[in-house]
Amino acid sequence: MSATIAATEERAALERIAEGVARLASSAPEVDLPADERVRRAKRVFIEKTDARVALDLESCLHCGMCAEACHFYEGTGQGRYAPIHKLKLLRKVYRRELGPFRLIQRLLTRDLTVAELEQWQELVFDSCTECGRCDMICPVGVHLSRGVHITRQALTAAGLAPAELRALDAEQKSTGAILGAGVEKLRSALEELRSQGIEAPLDKPQAEYLLLTTASDLLIYHRSLAATARIMNHLGLDWTFASSGFEAANSGAVSGDETAQRQATQRVVDAALACGAKFVVVPECGHAYPALRWEGPNQVGRAFPFQVLAISELIGRELESGRLRLKPLGPGKRVTFHDPCKFGRKGGVIDEPRKALAALEVDLRETESKGTTNYCCGGGGGVFFIGRAAPLRNAAFNIKRKQFDATGADSVVTSCGSCRMNFAVGAQRNNWNVPVESLVELVADGLAAPGPATDRGSVV
Amino acid sequence: MTLFDFARGPGMFWATTIMVIGIVWRLAGAVLLARHKDRSTPRGDNRVAAGLRAVLMRSVPPHELEKHITFQHLTGYAWHIGWFVTFLFFVPHMPFIESILGFGWPGLPNQAIVMLAAITLAILLLLLVRRIVHPVLKVISDFDDYVSTLLACAPLVTGIVAFAHLFPSHHETMIGLHILSVEALMVWLPFGKIFHCVTGLPLRFQIGAAFARRGVKA
Repeated sequence: MSATIAATEERAALERIAEGVARLASSAPEVDLPADERVRRAKRVFIEKTDARVALDLESCLHCGMCAEACHFYEGTGQGRYAPIHKLKLLRKVYRRELGPFRLIQRLLTRDLTVAELEQWQELVFDSCTECGRCDMICPVGVHLSRGVHITRQALTAAGLAPAELRALDAEQKSTGAILGAGVEKLRSALEELRSQGIEAPLDKPQAEYLLLTTASDLLIYHRSLAATARIMNHLGLDWTFASSGFEAANSGAVSGDETAQRQATQRVVDAALACGAKFVVVPECGHAYPALRWEGPNQVGRAFPFQVLAISELIGRELESGRLRLKPLGPGKRVTFHDPCKFGRKGGVIDEPRKALAALEVDLRETESKGTTNYCCGGGGGVFFIGRAAPLRNAAFNIKRKQFDATGADSVVTSCGSCRMNFAVGAQRNNWNVPVESLVELVADGLAAPGPATDRGSVV
Repeated sequence: MTLFDFARGPGMFWATTIMVIGIVWRLAGAVLLARHKDRSTPRGDNRVAAGLRAVLMRSVPPHELEKHITFQHLTGYAWHIGWFVTFLFFVPHMPFIESILGFGWPGLPNQAIVMLAAITLAILLLLLVRRIVHPVLKVISDFDDYVSTLLACAPLVTGIVAFAHLFPSHHETMIGLHILSVEALMVWLPFGKIFHCVTGLPLRFQIGAAFARRGVKA
């Protein structure tokens, strides 16, 4: 299939996804709860999630407002209510009244949490926050703001006040294990398509060293990324498989704050990995899936994993470093910039590895002013892509990103997250921006050189 | 007992007592809460070094962040430095410092310190106005923010008035008010945001170590 035809098919698939996303809210389960029950549930989550570390955050804020200056939603709109610290106000209120050292005084001086406040905060912690964590990097006293936002999301979700689109995704993943209709049949047909291209794509091998996950964006839109990932695994000579019982990397609960959905999605992957005896679980180009499994997964299932979690870009970087993977240069004439997906980079720690891949491909990498730990988010992470009414906010954030890209003079943007690509594609269409956004794994697959020598893989990671 | 005597005697004793007990109470109330166990496998084992790095580097953010907060940073550094230099290097403060520490150091010329105090006060008032009109600050500010700023201003105002002998017949009373303004700040410290002087550096360490667990320099 030519690249042009594939790109056209991807655009058509993205439009179908966009239409499906627009219908998400109507399929969301209703949550019919009395106001006092919503407040009770939210307070319970606030209290449960506030440990000594969170308490120290809440005791230390200066109200300097610097966090707002790192937030793309504040920068893009000038609206003071989007200041990250303002988003933590309900968490702080419950902490002070219920747990804080001066709670007896606070109960006399302040009013209790209300359902109206919870409803008001829905826009602040869902629509106008991608939990990208850029604000975490600027706070002069080191308040972990994105953690506080996530706790507030969890509280609102427990109160039945997550946006309808995210509730719909949670309900689907709880019921089928998949999102956006990308279930096991989609996986099977996608793998058949790979096999028809001569790409080995094992499914449900009884034993495998590597369990490869995929995600709805790859199954529904970015087939080339799926193919590229499989080709890289094959090229490296790895013993790998997909598992029909646990293939979806996306974790809607990790985004919305629905811990039941999060735990179930994590458990599916863990069970699949244990069933095939995997030593490594490889997360595809799906940003939030990485911290959801790598960093939060063990806490969700209550024990350390007997396997390692690797991002595909992390695997590529490490294989390059070990010399087992060699790439052909794509040429210095290819001028690219790299977008660090926040969840892989700032929230995940996978920052150097994609750059090692780009260096091996010998492209002309032109970094944006904010990169790595200070990178601007695409604007659609943290589920914001799915929230219909957040479109103007996403666009404001996209335009900050676009300006950063344009300033590099690069001919294309490379990234390693399907969600970022979807958000950029929508933003590009809306703003008539014609810079292509490419997948890192696709570039790496294009540059695969002669197979590396067969070596002991025990020391890879 | 005159106001001056009260400020130097029982006032200072109770302000110090409330401040110390309050700091211990507030700090203990936060840090003695349970800590959620993290079962994920850390990337690398450099958390102490990363925490210490964050303690230092949070003062000098990367350019792409700093360029958005230059005004806050410069004014913030300026008034803190001005306030503490005024406190620590004003010659009339030296007997007080020596009575606590048992030793002192040379002060700076009084006129220079008074000018510094006036500049510090001006910056604090400017920041107060900014807090009222800035789109972010006016949303996030509460009683604590205004009280803390005014209490930080109070010793400067009373000190300048006392030094200038604006009320020569009540000079001792003015000195008493000056000491009381400092005591008010001490009493407020455990209850308001000035508490960041206790938690700020440990929290920087905490976030540096937390992100280092994931292999990220924060």
